[in-house]
Amino acid sequence: MRKLWALIVCLGIFFCMPFTACFASAAKPIRIGIVDTYSGPASYYSDDVRDAFLMIVDKINSSGGILGHKVQVLTRDDKFRVDLGLSEAKELIMREHVNILMGTINSAVSLAVSDLCKKEKVPFLVTFGKSAKITGADGNHYVFSVDENTAMIGKAAAIALAKKPYTRYWIAGDDYEYGHDLADSLWKNLKKRNPKAVLLGQSWWKLGEPDFTPYISAILAAKPDCLIVATGGPDCVSFLKATKASGLNHKLAVYMHTAAVSIKPLGMDGPQGVLSTDTYYTYFPETAANKKFVAEFEKRYHHEPNAGALAGYLAAVFIQKAYKKAGAINTEKFIDALQGTSVASPVGKVTMRAFDHEVVLPMFVGVTKKEPGFKYLVASDIVTIPGKQIMPSIAGIKAARAKH
Amino acid sequence: MHLAVQLTLASLSQQVLVGLAETTTLFIVSSGLSLVLGVLRIPNISHGALYMLGAFLAYSITRMLGGTAAGFFASLLLAPLAVAFISLVVERFLLSRLYERDHLMLLLFTFALALVFNDVVNIVWGAGYRSMQLPSMFQGSFSFSGLFLPRYSLFLLCVGPLVAIGLWFLINRTKIGKISRAAAVHREMVGAVGINVSWVFAAVFMIGCFLAGLGGSLVAPTQSITQGMDASIIIEAFLIVIMGGLGNVWGALLGSLIFGLTDSLGVLIWPQFSIVFPYAAVIVVLLLRPAGLLRSTW
Repeated sequence: MRKLWALIVCLGIFFCMPFTACFASAAKPIRIGIVDTYSGPASYYSDDVRDAFLMIVDKINSSGGILGHKVQVLTRDDKFRVDLGLSEAKELIMREHVNILMGTINSAVSLAVSDLCKKEKVPFLVTFGKSAKITGADGNHYVFSVDENTAMIGKAAAIALAKKPYTRYWIAGDDYEYGHDLADSLWKNLKKRNPKAVLLGQSWWKLGEPDFTPYISAILAAKPDCLIVATGGPDCVSFLKATKASGLNHKLAVYMHTAAVSIKPLGMDGPQGVLSTDTYYTYFPETAANKKFVAEFEKRYHHEPNAGALAGYLAAVFIQKAYKKAGAINTEKFIDALQGTSVASPVGKVTMRAFDHEVVLPMFVGVTKKEPGFKYLVASDIVTIPGKQIMPSIAGIKAARAKH
Repeated sequence: MHLAVQLTLASLSQQVLVGLAETTTLFIVSSGLSLVLGVLRIPNISHGALYMLGAFLAYSITRMLGGTAAGFFASLLLAPLAVAFISLVVERFLLSRLYERDHLMLLLFTFALALVFNDVVNIVWGAGYRSMQLPSMFQGSFSFSGLFLPRYSLFLLCVGPLVAIGLWFLINRTKIGKISRAAAVHREMVGAVGINVSWVFAAVFMIGCFLAGLGGSLVAPTQSITQGMDASIIIEAFLIVIMGGLGNVWGALLGSLIFGLTDSLGVLIWPQFSIVFPYAAVIVVLLLRPAGLLRSTW
């Protein structure tokens, strides 16, 4: 008798299954997978990408979702590794059937996942990988970038440096993709704007170099006017610290991308007078949109947002806008809608360039300085370079892609 | 080869001095590793994690004491002591039960310890960067007749020899040093003459880990203190120990000198490829003397 009952229950479940599936599909959520680095130093930015993204997603969901679909977010930690990131991206696509993939602070992972997404036909929004190849030479129909890339940084820095009287330059940086890409782009653009600029030499240290003192003393021996520092992540903090400790900033001019943001952990003891380019400051532009974003983020997470949060925000609002414009949860319609679309953001109106899927993002140039009211050094004399001025040339990208 | 910098006596001597300062932390960390390797026969993979722990503790202690110069000096003593205490607990409750196992087990155990310490750091301090400042007396640099030397490098140049002399005294002039040297050569015999080898091991392990903590607290004000700062130092320390001769503390000193000086001179002579120099030196040394420069205790 027991067996019979068990059989009936089983059969019942079996026949009801298709119906439950039907009900479920009526409100099938939009699934978004994020592969990014959540362990180790890189998580400083990746955590903010995810947190800002979730903050906006919660808002979207509490107001009924996108086109009636709730948004569901799945995260995976790639530990800054290409192999792991790639297998997690595969898992999210094959097993979890995500509609969209996002992530990766490591450009190498971004490039690998981008290639996978091209094969699997899944849109991929790069949130923090900064290699110009992602949307440049290696760009494809499915990959988008919501942060600045090395080509844009190089152009912005060249615009800022060309205004200065320096001619004798030295380049130093992290010996990996980001460092070299940034240095190449910067130097090419600077030579165009200031033909008198001379490169005295370069030094390249390994990622996570513990002691910069030998590099600094060797650079000083060459007596350049200006030092271009092409480092990222925690090395920025270390180098700024060594700059202050050795008094380097009093002996020559120093430029570093994200210097005015990386200086924050140093409190009031960061080096003054370092030239910096950045995509995001909590204190600039002093618009209502930026103030509101900072306040909401701080209320939810009890710390100030960093540049990662801007990327997370942009990804969320771009996805929302594109699906609404597309009018359906459909990959091709989503991609068509996302191309050339604009959204409001803490740094003003931001557009997704249709040709290469690279976001047109303004860049801020400032000089590190102690300012009253701040517990850390901030960027002063901030100049905004509009996104249009720093975008990589379409002809250049076409030429690079043709080589492939 | 294009020389970016004109090699002058001034720039060379400046680079040597800076390199010697770098050698100090390398020596302190690798001598601790070598000591443990020589006496306990343990390749302590968690040595780097203890170094990282030392840096984080130095940061917290300095902050607790108000971030003053006195706080910094206190942290140079207290942070390594705290690391030594943690290592004592680990040795007494875990490691002392594993001495009879083969090297692979010990290797796996210390590797696991490194992962645990990394997670402890993640739980206590989080994944963000921490940073502490040099006391104002060490900020800036000395410039004399075209030479440039950061003040803190000068301080490190004083600390290095002090630690080396302290270690020499400990190993050659104290009872525990003599016993541990004997235990390194013949463990059973030392036990047979009635010496409690177990506590000698505990003491040596503590001293080794104290040195890791000291290295960490010395670099804390010049680097960004983050999770993962253990990864590069542990590789360098092992290379130095292998180059100098396994378990030989003076070999560690020699190895650190070679590693630190090739690094800093390489930066001056050929900055684009400077990363290669110290590692090339390791290869050359091992090709010429596969067992290390000085006699290994293994």
